[in-house]
Amino acid sequence: MNISPVHFIAVPLLAAFLIPIIGRFSKEFVKVIPGIVLLYLSYVAISLFPVALKTPIVEVLAGWKPPFGISLVYGPLAAYLTALITLMGFVIWVYSYKFIIREPIEKYYMLFMLLITGSTGIILTGDIFNMFVFLEITAIAAYSLTAFLRDKDGAEAAFKYLLIGSFASSFFLLAVMLLYASTGTLNLAEITSKIDSVAMSTRILILILFLVGLGIEAELFPLNGWAPDAYSQAPSPIGAIFGGIVVKAAIYALMRLVFLLFNFSEVFHFLLIMGIITMIVAEMSAMKQQQIKRMLAFSSIGQMGLVIIAFSVGTSDSVQAALFQMFNHAVIKALLFFAAGYLVFHSGSKKISALDGLGRDKPLTSFFFALGALAIIGLPPFAGFWSKLYILISVADAGLITAVVLVLIASVIEAVYYLRVVSRLYFNKESAQETEVRRTPLTGLLAMGVLALVIIVVGIYPDYIWNLLKPAAEELVNKAEYIRIALLK
Amino acid sequence: MRKVLAVFLLGIMGFYLFSSFSEIPFGENRATVGDYYLENTVLQTGSVNTITSIVVSYRGFDTLGEVTVLFLASTGLAAILFDNKGRKRRRQHASLIVRVGAHLIYPLIILLGAYVFIHGHLTPGGGFQGGAIIATGVLLMFMSYRSFEVSHKWLTYLESFAGISFVTIGLSGLIWGESFLQNILPLGVPNELFSAGVIPIIYIAVGIKVGAELTGLLDNLLKTIK
Repeated sequence: MNISPVHFIAVPLLAAFLIPIIGRFSKEFVKVIPGIVLLYLSYVAISLFPVALKTPIVEVLAGWKPPFGISLVYGPLAAYLTALITLMGFVIWVYSYKFIIREPIEKYYMLFMLLITGSTGIILTGDIFNMFVFLEITAIAAYSLTAFLRDKDGAEAAFKYLLIGSFASSFFLLAVMLLYASTGTLNLAEITSKIDSVAMSTRILILILFLVGLGIEAELFPLNGWAPDAYSQAPSPIGAIFGGIVVKAAIYALMRLVFLLFNFSEVFHFLLIMGIITMIVAEMSAMKQQQIKRMLAFSSIGQMGLVIIAFSVGTSDSVQAALFQMFNHAVIKALLFFAAGYLVFHSGSKKISALDGLGRDKPLTSFFFALGALAIIGLPPFAGFWSKLYILISVADAGLITAVVLVLIASVIEAVYYLRVVSRLYFNKESAQETEVRRTPLTGLLAMGVLALVIIVVGIYPDYIWNLLKPAAEELVNKAEYIRIALLK
Repeated sequence: MRKVLAVFLLGIMGFYLFSSFSEIPFGENRATVGDYYLENTVLQTGSVNTITSIVVSYRGFDTLGEVTVLFLASTGLAAILFDNKGRKRRRQHASLIVRVGAHLIYPLIILLGAYVFIHGHLTPGGGFQGGAIIATGVLLMFMSYRSFEVSHKWLTYLESFAGISFVTIGLSGLIWGESFLQNILPLGVPNELFSAGVIPIIYIAVGIKVGAELTGLLDNLLKTIK
């Protein structure tokens, strides 16, 4: 059996089904399984990457050629995103290993595996209904993980997310029905080749349904009300999963559909404006937050706004910059959530004001948080600087000076609230209360250390990642090429 | 004011959705893919039930996804209701008539469920329907007998075993055939029980899985009621 893209979906699924049986015999081994699976998937992702760069792989499923069966399209873009998801998944597993100590641990890892299955599925599939199925898998796993701590706030956040998420799913499904009714096929490439014959009014309705459906998962303003609650009430590694994996898959789905089916300049203008509003509103709300994880959640929404701005400029360069920003955001926000998770434990409170003076008590964890904060603001030696710079250049190239100014203003706001936390860590006197809760375990430090290393290395040598993203960006922009590849012509 | 606005927006949305959907002609031959399925099903998959062949073979990957959605729902629910384990159900016994009736009907319902999913490629119905029928049988017993218990250990085994079989069938298609979930068994003679390759095997796995999951869900939910 040769390695092929379907392993990204089949192997974690098999692991999720196996975990309950293995859990009967050994509780310890259950914790190791996701690590083995994600290590294997990372190996598959890395070894298939060069293949996809040369010739995209279209994997036919159940032996039926598209458009009659379902197929997976593994081009440079999918290769990049699956590699990002599996590698981030592995780091998140390392962090979870000692962080998740509350039962049911077995269920936590099952949901975690299924979340990975769902989000890689969204990225790999070349079929619109199949994308809906994987969107459902991702969303339901995310609802359950939000409420994993089983407290009142968690249940409330999960219920909010569940309601609005079901709304999103039904809108997406309605759009899929309309597309099938008007084109007679579910294969994304074939829909794209037939979309021009669909009446304009129907097309606009489909667009609106998709924008609402995916906008909720992609945290587009004003549909992102669920995000701050879900991010802050879920266990910290789950916050990292939301920011690093789930949102990335949803943004991919939104952008893939917009570039393939609704390639009008008006749509891009609309998305640009929504991106700017999302970014500004989120950064201003982040400013006002008293709780550290809520602040990180709003900052995450703001960063997604920035990514959407870069995507909706629509040139190959700006898409490349957006993909780079997605990479940086996944790595940096995960580091921030990891560090914040233990800082909250050490200080014994979710409040920012409780972090006074922790820089001296917990030097390593605080250092990682500070590093992440400086990187996400976009200070020069770190990775975040380059993607923000490339975004600004590409937006300025398109002549959108107002957008450049607004992005810069948002960055200043971002700098203010992140530096406020960092200064509390290092320069404020420690408050009197002494609540020693838990030491940061080695696995936690290891996960944070790896991410910090990535941030610094990418900051010094940004060209390696940047050059890898060029074919991915071209794949997204070039719609005729996608149709040719995916229909095996 | 907010309610008026909400109703107004809902009205606009409903109007546009209705006007778009009312333009779709039903029953006309427009869907190219649909035509292809109708013409080629029996020849290509050996299943005389076209819907089954689409669900399990042509779009079998979606079905694997749908099975996963149900699995997720039951796993998520079990994770959230974890603390409530072991709480006894406190309900009254049903009347004698209901109890005796339930005892008589219960095995027949299980039999019907099994029949529906085993014959999924021949008659209307399939794994999801059969599994749901089995779960209704168990629900009937839950409601009639206070002492009726199901073994969670065995439910978990059944559920996992069925899920693993589905994925393994898929992977064996990759090993002995060319693609994931590809049929690797002979198609046989249409209309016979042993025909249509892997379709009946997949549907039996789906039926067992759905039955076990829905039963587990019902049991979990019933134990939260005081």
